[in-house]
Amino acid sequence: MIEFLRFALVAAVFAPLLGVLVIGLMVLLGDDRPTESRVAQVTGAGLAVSIIASLAVMAGHLGLIGVPLAGDVEFGAWLRVGDFVVPAVLLVDGVSVSISLFAASLTALIARFSRTYLHKEAGFVRFFTLLGIFATGTQLVALAGTLEIFFAGWELIGISSAFFIGFFHERAEPVRSSIRAFATYRFSDAGLLIATVATLQLLDTARFSALESAGGLPPLQSTAIALLFLLSAMGKSAQLPFSGWLPRAMEGPTPSSALFYGAVSIHAGLFLLLRVWPLLEVSLVARTFGVIVGLGTALYATAVVRVHTDAKGTLAHATLAQVGLILAEICFGWVTFALIHLICHAFLRLGQYLKAPNTIHDSHRLGHAEHAPSALERWSPRTASRLYAASIHRLRLDDRIDAAIAPMLALAGWLDRLDRRWRKAASLDTGAIEATAIKQLRS
Amino acid sequence: MTDLAVLADAPWPVIGLSLLLLVAPAFAEPLRHRWHLPSLIAALLVALLAPTPAIAYSAVAVGALVHARAAWPASRTGAAMLAISAGLALAVAAALAAGELTLAFALSCLTIAMRAGVMPFHSGVASLCDRIPVVQTQQLASGIALVFVHLRFADNHAMAAAGPMLERYGAAAALIAALITLAQKDLRGFYRGTTTMHAGVLIAAIGAAAIGDYGAALMVTATMGLALVGLGMMVTSLEERVGPTPFSGPGGRVGTFPKLALAFALFGGAGVGLPGTAGFIADDLLLHALWMNSPASAIALILAAALLAVTTLIAFSRVFLGRTTPSRAPDLYPRERIVAATLLLLLILLGFAPGLLLEPSGALLE
Repeated sequence: MIEFLRFALVAAVFAPLLGVLVIGLMVLLGDDRPTESRVAQVTGAGLAVSIIASLAVMAGHLGLIGVPLAGDVEFGAWLRVGDFVVPAVLLVDGVSVSISLFAASLTALIARFSRTYLHKEAGFVRFFTLLGIFATGTQLVALAGTLEIFFAGWELIGISSAFFIGFFHERAEPVRSSIRAFATYRFSDAGLLIATVATLQLLDTARFSALESAGGLPPLQSTAIALLFLLSAMGKSAQLPFSGWLPRAMEGPTPSSALFYGAVSIHAGLFLLLRVWPLLEVSLVARTFGVIVGLGTALYATAVVRVHTDAKGTLAHATLAQVGLILAEICFGWVTFALIHLICHAFLRLGQYLKAPNTIHDSHRLGHAEHAPSALERWSPRTASRLYAASIHRLRLDDRIDAAIAPMLALAGWLDRLDRRWRKAASLDTGAIEATAIKQLRS
Repeated sequence: MTDLAVLADAPWPVIGLSLLLLVAPAFAEPLRHRWHLPSLIAALLVALLAPTPAIAYSAVAVGALVHARAAWPASRTGAAMLAISAGLALAVAAALAAGELTLAFALSCLTIAMRAGVMPFHSGVASLCDRIPVVQTQQLASGIALVFVHLRFADNHAMAAAGPMLERYGAAAALIAALITLAQKDLRGFYRGTTTMHAGVLIAAIGAAAIGDYGAALMVTATMGLALVGLGMMVTSLEERVGPTPFSGPGGRVGTFPKLALAFALFGGAGVGLPGTAGFIADDLLLHALWMNSPASAIALILAAALLAVTTLIAFSRVFLGRTTPSRAPDLYPRERIVAATLLLLLILLGFAPGLLLEPSGALLE
């Protein structure tokens, strides 16, 4: 029975990816574009296997089929070079199996919803391929036994998210938003990667189950690693100052917005913090910083949501406010409460995002509420108008980030000019570059 | 019997990979210069199967000269670089024969730096990328053999002190190249910058190998070969269909060339450590190796990879995304598709089972 459960764990993670590979080969090697129904069937089969396997793993964990399965489940070495070994290990505990089943079910639900929603859409194949990649990414994140495997899943979520944002690429804005979101992800991923490597060197293992021994680390080192984990969580969960990409991410199709920014992806950063809680727990500095960031984001998002007029933008900031609160809860140490808050919030937002396209209809039917002056407007109209102006411009967060990276872009331009001069000086070639110089060499 | 044992111990995964990468461009474009392919294959086999460093480095030198001959009509700079690297390879053989291990190691590293195109020795490779990318992809394939020959004969434990220095140099070169790539305004510039960035990563991996972490060097070389050869082929294929590709605005070619776009995205992703590909393993191995000796180098490489990933997405969006640009040119031909699919499957296979490359080659290097 244990062997069956081990197989189920692998199937839960890789069945959606297998579907993606099949579709990829159909696109790359086939002469005709695969049909919508074939693509939906292949993806749906992968997701269905993933759900069934997740259910089996949960049943196994609860002891409903044989001896209860819990702890690290080993699959040998993913990578072995001399003494350096990266184990292929998945972690089975209450949190991982719940999140695994939760993510698999929501992804399959979205796949079914999208089959109708995106019918005859030009990017139908792309959407379902990305959905399969995302499903594998979330399963890896949920069930990862080591930080390396977690990072692999984390990256897959980030890449699929960026491509979903730029889904309607005929317009310039979604493409710009996609690049901005991806750049934020990669910056925060750098924090996770550095933290992973540092954890491995300091603890001699990157297993989540071994993080309990993090209490023995010197305070400076544990604080530095905890802050790096917090940085990556802030980027993925759009906490201040990285909140600017979330409203831009609403450029993507509604089903993907619901899945990513309502339900699963936006909470991935919080899940990371729950996973590395033993490290976070021993660092008061990191937890204090997390509380400040979380509450700050909640306040910021609340201010913005009150002045926003579009449905998905409002929902994005409402999501942000709750995510900020959950971050603060985790950093206060209310871990179980935060987990319950996270799952309930994900379900609520998923429904709200999916219903967002009907909002205008509902608004016409139900009418608008009369605007009554707030306490702040009555107490200080001047402060209220300033807050309004700041909120409507979202504190100019994106402008500030653009200003922060401008020197780097200037440096890149200067280095490029220097490089061109150097190559010109060292060149023996005469005449202009021929883009198709290869033609000279054709036999 | 002894001969059979030698064959059994041969680095077959490296031989297979190098041969595949060497033959791939010629298979995809059958009209192109096949005349030098047999000599390149022979040189590569001799280099990888040679029992002594003198024969191995001489074969590397012969291979470089064949590439130089192919490059000469379009890129004098590239041809000169290849000829100089051939001379350096012969000098390594001579130094090893004379027992000058330090000199041999330094010259061998310089040969790799020139062939890979690490800054500031990148003029030749940059010229090949700009003027004749097919030769660049092929010389990259035989560059894998050069790295293996270096790890087998020139790299030794006496050179461990040089490791951290090479790691820092490689990481700095990769970061600078990643920044330069960010400023590029056309597809060729992107490919050139990507190649230069990977060369920096390779030198850092060679530094890690000098300290004993040869696995990182092998995986980085394999990834660089597969991803850059694939990317180079896609760049060439696209430019043959639509001409030079500036980043002046949205290209809108994904509708016209969906297969080419998919392959471009996957090769580009593999080059920046996409999970599930060999690039992810290569990055992981290298970072762990670097962190022990030089955390600053590891951080520089992480930032370089992040920058290149963003640049790759920008390049993809400028070339392929946007309102569809009509074109009568066909998407990838069947031969090109087969080559792209093979290279991609290899990248994925090595991402899930890196031991296929590392264990046999590692046993030989040990």
